[in-house]
Amino acid sequence: MRFAVCVKHAIDETELRIDSSGKPQLDGAAGKMSTFDKNAVEEALRLRSAQSGEVVAFTVGGPDARKTLKEALAMGADRGVIISADLLATDTLRTAELLAAAITKTGPYDVILCSEGSSDTYDGQVPPMLGELLGLPYAGYSRKIEVVGGSAKIERSLEDSVEAVESSLPLVASVVSEINEPRYPTLIQIMQSSMKPVEELNGEQLVQQGTHKQSSVVSMVAQTSSRKHVMIEGSPDEAASKLVEALVKEGVLPK
Amino acid sequence: MSVWVYSESEGISDEVASAALDISEPTSAGPSVIDIGQVRDGTHSAGDKLVLKGPPSTEPPPQVAAEAIFRAAKELRPASILIGATRNGREVASRLAAKLRVGCLSDAFKVSCDGQNLFAERNVYAGKVVAMVTCPLPSIATVKVGAYPRLGSTPKETREVDVGQIDSQVRVLRREKKVVGSVDLKSARVIVSAGRGVKKREDLAMLADLAKEMQGALGCSRPLSSDLGWLPEEHHIGLTGVTVKPDLYLAVGISGQLQHVAGMKDSKIVAAINTDKDAPIFQASDYGIVGDLYQVIPAIRRAFTSRG
Amino acid sequence: MAIYSPEHRRLIKVFHPQKHDEYSEVLSSLSSFMEKEILPNSSKFDSGELSIKGPRKALLQHGMCQIPFPSEYGGLGLPFSVYANAIELLGTADASIALSVEIHNAVSEGLYRYGNDGQKKEFLPDLLSGKSLASFALTEPASGSDAGTMATVAERKGGEYSISGSKMFITNAGEADLYLVFANTPKGPSCFLVESPNRGMKFGDDLKKLGMRGSRTSEVIFSDCRVPAGNLVGEEGKGADYAKEILHGARIVVAALNVGISQLAYDEALRYAKQRRAFGKSISEFQLIRAKIADMKTEINAGRLLYFYASSIKESGGDFSSEASQAKVFATEMSLRVCDQAIQIYGGYGYTSDELHRHWRDARLLTIGEGTSEVLRMLIAKRELARTP
Repeated sequence: MRFAVCVKHAIDETELRIDSSGKPQLDGAAGKMSTFDKNAVEEALRLRSAQSGEVVAFTVGGPDARKTLKEALAMGADRGVIISADLLATDTLRTAELLAAAITKTGPYDVILCSEGSSDTYDGQVPPMLGELLGLPYAGYSRKIEVVGGSAKIERSLEDSVEAVESSLPLVASVVSEINEPRYPTLIQIMQSSMKPVEELNGEQLVQQGTHKQSSVVSMVAQTSSRKHVMIEGSPDEAASKLVEALVKEGVLPK
Repeated sequence: MSVWVYSESEGISDEVASAALDISEPTSAGPSVIDIGQVRDGTHSAGDKLVLKGPPSTEPPPQVAAEAIFRAAKELRPASILIGATRNGREVASRLAAKLRVGCLSDAFKVSCDGQNLFAERNVYAGKVVAMVTCPLPSIATVKVGAYPRLGSTPKETREVDVGQIDSQVRVLRREKKVVGSVDLKSARVIVSAGRGVKKREDLAMLADLAKEMQGALGCSRPLSSDLGWLPEEHHIGLTGVTVKPDLYLAVGISGQLQHVAGMKDSKIVAAINTDKDAPIFQASDYGIVGDLYQVIPAIRRAFTSRG
Repeated sequence: MAIYSPEHRRLIKVFHPQKHDEYSEVLSSLSSFMEKEILPNSSKFDSGELSIKGPRKALLQHGMCQIPFPSEYGGLGLPFSVYANAIELLGTADASIALSVEIHNAVSEGLYRYGNDGQKKEFLPDLLSGKSLASFALTEPASGSDAGTMATVAERKGGEYSISGSKMFITNAGEADLYLVFANTPKGPSCFLVESPNRGMKFGDDLKKLGMRGSRTSEVIFSDCRVPAGNLVGEEGKGADYAKEILHGARIVVAALNVGISQLAYDEALRYAKQRRAFGKSISEFQLIRAKIADMKTEINAGRLLYFYASSIKESGGDFSSEASQAKVFATEMSLRVCDQAIQIYGGYGYTSDELHRHWRDARLLTIGEGTSEVLRMLIAKRELARTP
């Protein structure tokens, strides 16, 4: 069986710096594989080990995105495909179009996996768009995937319910992070990942610009915290009394 | 300018209907609220109701809902479609955008429009940054759950559009409520939330008791529900879990990763207890106590019971 | 915050302009592993609430100790300075684990340098992959760095050696699977491999230490401890030379470890200085605090450069014994100054909180262990005098 997994080279939100005017410094900001994408890679590897076959990792982005692709390879993906594009000027629909075209070009695949959303912007749009553009069945927010023969049984985790669905293959699915615990690539795997094949596809040639009017960012400003930051000191009993007193004054405790 | 509103949940449909008022021109007939299958008595509209006939269920699978709205939109050409940002709602919106080849904005807590473009304000980078994003009309946006009040107006009229029969490629075998008597964190005035600092599953009882005494609910950070499985996923507050805004959020043994803070930062008052004085949670708190939760929580319970 | 910082990245680039990307990737993977699995629990290792065994094993399995060894034994074949840098990162994440791992890998280094083919094939792959843990047994109750006077003896009895005597302050004692033991034979100090368990090898109680409390240290007692004659490493009588050589490399690593401890103490103190207010402003605005920050930072960087410099001489095959000693003397003494200033910046909190004075307590070991500052100064001076005509 062949598995495709889509990963994003996301801006590392924990390292993102805010300049003195309150704007995030996106230029040169540190990137990393979007946190939840590791669960998607892990799930692809898990399915491969149950079914045997190949896992191909896809990413859309600039040269930096190779790092994320390499991480997927280090985790165990067999091959990588990078679709060159300026990620900050590529909206969700164009990203999905590029991925769909690359998946079609290098396919067919039995299961195409994404995570529920990226850790930087958390749109969660690309996976269902992929299902739509590829015309394949789609199961979002999967917390369990079982492939048996030519079909899949999936548990979808919704806000207040769990939905068991069944679908034929090929299939597109997004996974939630509770589906598995992603593995750490070992140092040997990291070094060996440089030897695995990576194909580069030119985004402009793959899908012409202008299929739609893209969404874009107008402005960004750091969230300002207006918290009081009062640290309460003293013994546990003293601190607790002072806290309860303060909370009563704030009017946030039940009478 | 015509604005459409859809959510599979009636309550959220009413929230999105409020958001739609921000972008529909005052002179227009008002936004249209979509019901699929048949009229839902539980949804309200400041404009009309648009009933898409064809699918049998009022809560069809997202693929069916997207196709039904697409078929109607191809004909009626709305300038904008707003959809509640639930998990299924995000799928409906994304599919619609792909079908219509228009841009889609995500998770707006505020929408606006200048007649040419749709604008949305939203949180990005795990809540560290607020972004204003835009897309030329026609376009789609999902609206953050809980960002707008629920609308109560009665629709002026009801229109019906026959969209025909639509099939879903995935078959729903069954749907189960996650947990019986599940917590309602969204409406709780007080939330006591547990993190990694809690050493044993049994110790959660102490926090659950405190929550009960404060007439509140028990929440948790991701490790407790996802990694340790000590609480069902519905208790998980954060970017990938529930977003809450209680009057009081008491973070107990929670380090305060950005992903967690993203789910509780709109709380009125935040108090935190943590052994690590450098824990980022204190940056997101009004009141902080550096200390052992096993000493501080019992002390808070005593202080709370004997408060004046 | 990432332990492997852009500053580290820059330094690797300076020392390895060709392959820095690859090395940085390895180091940053180790760093993420440590940030998630080790650093958050370091004060619990110190207090004894958690054991280092699990995370240490996971770290070795991740490949930490494979870095400087060739691939035929399961190593990564990377430069020694990359390994030393990895130990620095581990020193930041948890000094006790760093100490334990450093000792473990010193045994691998000894085996790699002086073991025969059979010994290397039998033991190295498991040591490098973390399947087994090693311990280095040289110091004795009555003799430290003075390897020539050791009282432990090994007597040849047919196809075996019988080892008797006692070794003191042995890191990883009781936990290790393999011990590199130094004992006197008629030809002089010699070096043996002792696999655990062995009926003739017993362990004293875990010693109560000032710092490095996550690691286990105790006496190892040998009484007619039998090992096959094939467990002799290298030649009889050369043990003292082997120990000396192994310790030269280990000193670079110990220097790195102390730079790692200092870096964490400094980072924490700096953060505190920025947020702590006195007389209406952040204490980081006072010049006396600023002087401390400047000195701490400068000294840490000096220590780091010294161990990188010694590493690069080792990598090029030159005699690095003096530079390794310089790095160790400076970095270990420097880290005491830096950790002490960190406590000073924290004021009363620094003196009363285990988590803050832990850095100083951990650092305190290493002006003593693996060659005291005094002995190393003698070595440096001797080497320098010999170089001058």
